[in-house]
Amino acid sequence: MPLRVRLTLWYGTALALILIIFSTILYVITARSLRDAVDQSLEETAAAAVRSLEERGFLPLIDEGELMSQFPELARIDKFFQIFSPSGTITIRSPNVKQHEMPLSRQALEVAYSGRSLLEFAKYPKEPPLRLISVPIIYRGNLLYIIQVGTSMDSVEVTLNRLLLVLLVSIPITLAVSLAGGWFMAGRALRPVDAITLAAQRIAGGDLTQRLTVPASADEIGRLTNTFNAMIDRLETSFRQIRQFSSDASHELRTPLTVMKGETELALRRPRETDDYKVVLESNLEEIDRMTRIVDELLFLSRADMGEVKMEHLPVPLDTLVEDLHRQASLLGQEGDIQVVLRTTAPAVVLGDELRLRELFLNLLDNAVKYSRPGGTVDIALTIELGHAKVSVTDHGIGIAQDDQPQIFDRFYRTDAARAHTKKGTGLGLSICAWIVESHHGRIEVQSQVGEGSTFTAILPLAPASTKRPLAGR
Amino acid sequence: MRILVIEDETKVGCFIKRALDEESYAVDLCEDGAKGLQMALNTNYDLLIVDLMLPSLSGLEILKGVRQARIQTPILILTAQSQVDQRVKGLDAGADDYLTKPFAIDELLARIRALLRRGSTESPGVLQIDDLALNPATREVTRGGQRIELTLKEYALLEYLMRHTGRVLTRPMISEHVWNQDFDTFTNVIDVYVNYLRNKIDRGRSKKLIHTIRGSGYMLKAD
Repeated sequence: MPLRVRLTLWYGTALALILIIFSTILYVITARSLRDAVDQSLEETAAAAVRSLEERGFLPLIDEGELMSQFPELARIDKFFQIFSPSGTITIRSPNVKQHEMPLSRQALEVAYSGRSLLEFAKYPKEPPLRLISVPIIYRGNLLYIIQVGTSMDSVEVTLNRLLLVLLVSIPITLAVSLAGGWFMAGRALRPVDAITLAAQRIAGGDLTQRLTVPASADEIGRLTNTFNAMIDRLETSFRQIRQFSSDASHELRTPLTVMKGETELALRRPRETDDYKVVLESNLEEIDRMTRIVDELLFLSRADMGEVKMEHLPVPLDTLVEDLHRQASLLGQEGDIQVVLRTTAPAVVLGDELRLRELFLNLLDNAVKYSRPGGTVDIALTIELGHAKVSVTDHGIGIAQDDQPQIFDRFYRTDAARAHTKKGTGLGLSICAWIVESHHGRIEVQSQVGEGSTFTAILPLAPASTKRPLAGR
Repeated sequence: MRILVIEDETKVGCFIKRALDEESYAVDLCEDGAKGLQMALNTNYDLLIVDLMLPSLSGLEILKGVRQARIQTPILILTAQSQVDQRVKGLDAGADDYLTKPFAIDELLARIRALLRRGSTESPGVLQIDDLALNPATREVTRGGQRIELTLKEYALLEYLMRHTGRVLTRPMISEHVWNQDFDTFTNVIDVYVNYLRNKIDRGRSKKLIHTIRGSGYMLKAD
């Protein structure tokens, strides 16, 4: 059932219930208070009649003309009275009931003998419903008379009937009007929700540039709209990143494919010397290695993105690691006559994965050697600062332009200079470095001047002081 | 036919150059965008092959630079991106054709032939003058139905002459379109090759097709 219908039904049911309860209470209270008013006036009239009879010493009963002058209010209002003898026969009655036959009820007679008054409803043939009060007059223990005062309940009944009619008509009308209003209001309140649904459908259809119009009010719908738009923003960004990433990845993979396809086709176009084939095969092998490296690194990064790369959380002595890597990098540098120098070191232990940290520093050192000029130097420094270990690798090579620096950690980003300098890079090494540093809760920074060289600094939080230094040679 | 290849991937550029060399084209290779544009503007190439992703100056900027200089040389763009918008941008910027990497060498060569043909509308593929015919697709040369075997350079020279029949072609023009930038213009190599061609085409025939224009150069004509 649509929300609009449900809202309206709930609203209508609640309102109907309230109206019915209210009307019932109103009717009952009105009926009771009307009857009470009648009863009170009957009692007062009866009391006045008894008082008047007492003044006259109860004797002898006068004719009705005199009686009327005694109780003038009886003529004006619709009350009548009758005086019965103890046997229940009428001795005197007021002129307005002369023609009517309204004997004393048995119950009234019995109650009179016990000395109490009685209020009762009476219905005689051809008479409107009556309310009667019967009061006994007792003198020295003997029942002398029974005075009965009565009035028609006609006007009360008419009033109550009219009230009932008003209620029965007005309740459905009120309910109908309210339901219509509720339906309209619910529709109005739900219209922005419909707009959101439509927009969401368009976006689900693939158009991520769509945005919802934000209403001016900061109500629930406004907040929903803002949340929704923020979500689409993030979706659009990540979709764009994925598109960029896959386009970059396909470009990086296409280049070695182009080389392999082109060189192989060219070699097969006509018969050639064995050495020519060898050259092509060697070149193809290089390209296969390059593709393998790209695929491996891509796989690592995508597993890292999915949180599937297992990371150790063990104490790693950085100074030992850096000394070890210094030896390794020195070998790397020999080919290009590049000296790798360990400038400063300090005892430092961090919590992390030794293999990954080794990969991180080896990547940085490999880059430094690659981008150094022949005969140049690469400096390594390990220092401690404010609870962090700082490992920096400095080369004096081609450097990185200021504009390129923010993007060098992006996947597949390679500066033109880097592309021209070495054909071997995949454009993923620094992304992996950044990921390793971040998964150790550290950060990586770069400082560089074109033509003067670059310094990459990995800043890692030190292990708590209580951490035991692992045994050397682990 | 002289072709400039601007491609920063060394290996890709190298095999394209080798393939074109074997097809007797004169090829210059450049790995840098800005340098490539200078070369394209300074030398009268018959065709440019331009990679779109280049250091210092993108392929698109080279295209725009060349067309702004009112050079109508056909341009073939190479792109690693399979995205349509890159190709559209390239074609709109003045490229005549494109190839997506990786590509087949045969397709590259066929497209180059098609682009070179476009310059002279009257030639539908096979070049013909009198009873001498040259088919660029098969590189078959015949005179009077008789097949003539030519070396790569001889073929290149003949193709250039046949594409410009009835016009005087100076030695600098010939060297510019038949040899690449490594060629030393101060030798008599051109005269030597023209003589080779004469021996194979005109010798023993009553009608000579290759004519020497004294003090200027050479001309290929039927009468």
